[in-house]
Amino acid sequence: MNLLGIDTATATRAAVLRGDGQAFDRPASQAESGPHRDHAAKLLPAIASRLAEAGLDYGDIDAIAVGIGPGGFTGLRIGLATAIGLARAHGAELRPVSSLAALAAEGEGALRLPLIDARRGELFGALYEDGIQRWEAFAAAPDALVSRVQTELGEEARRLVAVGDGSLRFREDLESAGLAVAAPGSMSHAVSALALCRLAVSVEPVSPEALIPLYVREPDAIATR
Amino acid sequence: MILGIETSCDDTCAAVVSEAGIVRSNVIASQGLLHQRYGGVVPEIAAREHLAVIGPVIDDALERAGAELADIDVIAATSGPGLIGALLIGLSTAKALAAARQLPMVAVDHLHAHVVASALGERPIEPPFVALVASGGHTFLARVERFEEHQTLGRTLDDAAGEAFDKGARLLGLPYPGGPEIDRLASEGDSEAFAFPRSAPGEGLDFSFSGLKTALLYAVRDLGEARTAERRADLAASYQRAIVEALLARLESAVIRERVTRVAIGGGVGANRELRSGIEALGDRLGVEVWIPGFSLCTDNAAMIAGAARFQPRLEYPSYLGLDAYARAA
Ligand SMILES: [Zn+2]
Repeated sequence: MNLLGIDTATATRAAVLRGDGQAFDRPASQAESGPHRDHAAKLLPAIASRLAEAGLDYGDIDAIAVGIGPGGFTGLRIGLATAIGLARAHGAELRPVSSLAALAAEGEGALRLPLIDARRGELFGALYEDGIQRWEAFAAAPDALVSRVQTELGEEARRLVAVGDGSLRFREDLESAGLAVAAPGSMSHAVSALALCRLAVSVEPVSPEALIPLYVREPDAIATR
Repeated sequence: MILGIETSCDDTCAAVVSEAGIVRSNVIASQGLLHQRYGGVVPEIAAREHLAVIGPVIDDALERAGAELADIDVIAATSGPGLIGALLIGLSTAKALAAARQLPMVAVDHLHAHVVASALGERPIEPPFVALVASGGHTFLARVERFEEHQTLGRTLDDAAGEAFDKGARLLGLPYPGGPEIDRLASEGDSEAFAFPRSAPGEGLDFSFSGLKTALLYAVRDLGEARTAERRADLAASYQRAIVEALLARLESAVIRERVTRVAIGGGVGANRELRSGIEALGDRLGVEVWIPGFSLCTDNAAMIAGAARFQPRLEYPSYLGLDAYARAA
């Protein structure tokens, strides 16, 4: 089975995992940190490049592993809408994967705290142990997160490694509270589209209308009546 | 055949149109009621809903046209102006569909699509003509010399006509969207009962509706709650008459100034019954031919996007992969 993995929760990420096990990815670079508002311009060109590198046509893709966030709402929807269009074109399956699960899947440490910058001084995150999700995806301010970790994990907290752009953004807050953050240059801070592909192998395909971002936050709207 | 996709505001739309401009299907999934309790379109809610229904809406448009994806030669999508988060749903889906099928793609300007909507159907309009486009987001007059482009003759300086309807409806305690509510209520009222201001100052072709909205606000305040409720139909009728007359007066000036013999309307306000009959009467009086598209071609729709795409450059694969949406008119 040929898998295409795409993620737009943070930077634009695309990878192909060919049926023969060969992987085609482009490692994340430091240049990809910061606000990401260019998914519309970057995503399809990245997908086209990965397919060309893998020697595949669009019609050769059997399943699309799509990162459903959490992350910037507009960016996530560009990724999901792109996946819907690609899947519709040739009947490929859509397999949703949490971008946090992908962040937690690779790198050192058994107890991992993937964190994605949620803006407004908050973090999106979840807790994983050996790939098993222990905490539901949440949005929280760093100080609230730190006190939850201390209350609920106690001694265990020393085994924990925080990863993701959110952990870099609030590195000082986390480290001064005794939490370990993966080294700044580590590849484990970027969501890996290849990790999405690997996780997607055990994910059931969904219909386009069931492909919904992991929003975590409610929309800002005020009812007038 | 052309598959068109439009998600610039709160309607998720897909349509199939032939190269000759015949509408094979025109699917509109309206979110109107979803935004009702907020009194207007909430961008984030609109974008969430677009994503949830874009797949089924495209399937529906193909099925109603009796077409397969293999029958589609070109994919067209609105790239702006509109709500950026909403636009990006339709545009991203369209780009991906086109890319995966290696089809050419056309990025369509939403406003231009409204202007040339009357080029669709069995009796297409021919340039040169003047078009009045009025909706919740835009109100302007345009001259069309060739279908590829239009020249803006005048535009609203403040609110759009549809916005004036929505705000008026709110002052009268009517639900959102206000246009259809005022239209319905106005038919029971006296349009001469209240004297509301008609148009923007000056001799140009620009519009202004903020003074009218303020006049209604004062009228409602002076009447008080009970009297306003009693006279709601008269207020609605007078208010609607003022909007329609402001639109018609500028349209008439444009027709005379531009010396055209053909006139078209577009935009959601084009569904207003008083405006439709007013334009017919104006056509008779000035001796010009009038094109009034059906309701589903006036309000936001994808058939007009696919139709307008016939006159725009086709981008070949892979030149459109990096195409982005834009929020504001250039
Ligand atoms: Zn419109």
